[in-house]
Amino acid sequence: MPSRPHLVLAALSSAAALAGLLAGCSSDVTTPRVERSLGPTFANLYVQQQTLLGHTGLTAATVAPRPTCSRTNPAAHNKGAGTDWICQVSWTGPDHKPLKGKFELTIHPNGCYEAGGPTKVIGPVTIRAADGKDVTNPVFEFDGCFDTT
Amino acid sequence: MTAPTTTTAAPEALPATPATRGRVTTAYRWEAAKLVAQARTRVTLGICLIAPFVFVTLLDQQSQVPKDTLFGRWIHASGFATPLFILGFASQWVFPLLTSIVAGDIFSSEDQYGTWKTILTRSHSRAQVFWAKTLVAATFAVLVVIVLGLATLTAGLLLVGHQPLEGLSGTLLSPGRAASVVLAAWATTLPPLLGFTALAIMLSVLSRTSAVGIAGPLVIGLIMQVYTFLNGPDAVRHLLLVTPFDSWHGLARDHPYYGPLWQGSLVSLGYLVVCLAVAHLMLRRRDITGG
Repeated sequence: MPSRPHLVLAALSSAAALAGLLAGCSSDVTTPRVERSLGPTFANLYVQQQTLLGHTGLTAATVAPRPTCSRTNPAAHNKGAGTDWICQVSWTGPDHKPLKGKFELTIHPNGCYEAGGPTKVIGPVTIRAADGKDVTNPVFEFDGCFDTT
Repeated sequence: MTAPTTTTAAPEALPATPATRGRVTTAYRWEAAKLVAQARTRVTLGICLIAPFVFVTLLDQQSQVPKDTLFGRWIHASGFATPLFILGFASQWVFPLLTSIVAGDIFSSEDQYGTWKTILTRSHSRAQVFWAKTLVAATFAVLVVIVLGLATLTAGLLLVGHQPLEGLSGTLLSPGRAASVVLAAWATTLPPLLGFTALAIMLSVLSRTSAVGIAGPLVIGLIMQVYTFLNGPDAVRHLLLVTPFDSWHGLARDHPYYGPLWQGSLVSLGYLVVCLAVAHLMLRRRDITGG
């Protein structure tokens, strides 16, 4: 019969092995999932912003954002939750003007994220709407979520 | 449903419960009456009813918005953001507390007052008393969520308004759609909540102390939250009982997704079955002669 320290050691090593195995498993937060979620969410919000500014006629389809996302930390292998996600997005603005900018994302393990847009391109936190009122800029900072299953 | 088959299947087996024994519904009514008589129960429900109004009033006076929680940035823009913000902000630690206040005490209080012998000499079997107490604890958990959910929604609508809500996919949800999202999102907390109810019942039965029954689920929930916060492997996170509290996120979108919801419900069911089975077994095997 194995003694108690042996049992403890066996339990610990199998737990460590299991943890190692699980750590090697694929993460819930992956680059394709981030890109597939950020693109449409930004497009929808951008249409809202442009409508507020008086530029009607844009749709999510004409904005057509193309995000390319990665993590700053190379050890993270562009997956997993973190505050260092960067997405370069190019899209089509009013009058078919090509636009691009860098979005900074904080992504949580549950698949929800906060994105901050490039102020120079998408404007400050508050914008002057076409009717003269100051309103919250919907694309300055925004939240989104994607399916992690 | 179907007639009980156990009596015909094993007629020679020892009769676990005499035919003249009472019913679970009777025991349930007694347990419910005991619960209603407790000040703690009424105070908890009262707080759930009033606290959201106080909270929203305080939030309304702030010019800053709590952006680090989902829907926090829209808290002044739409009353439908209020219940979703509170759900995201409070569900993981408030819900385990709200259910274990009752579920963590309902078995161990009989130990505390030494009343097990008294209630078991009444015309109810141990199993019937177990299910009656479990159902009363579950009823209270569901009632608390309904009261708190409706109070937060009402507070948001009365104090902020029924403006369209900015969803999680960048589109505005109409007031009608937003209202159904809020109700559905609050309903999705029931599986993990009942999981915590079962956990509290198990700890209450095992420890025979209300302190462990009430604080135990809170501590376990907190450890699970710390694990999530430290960003451990996702495979383990899927098995935690606090993870399903986030599964409503997919509903607040233009095109909803339900993957985390099904996964979370399954995990919650697992906790529910295992905890109740352990509690039931321990209570049936216990030697109750003292007290």
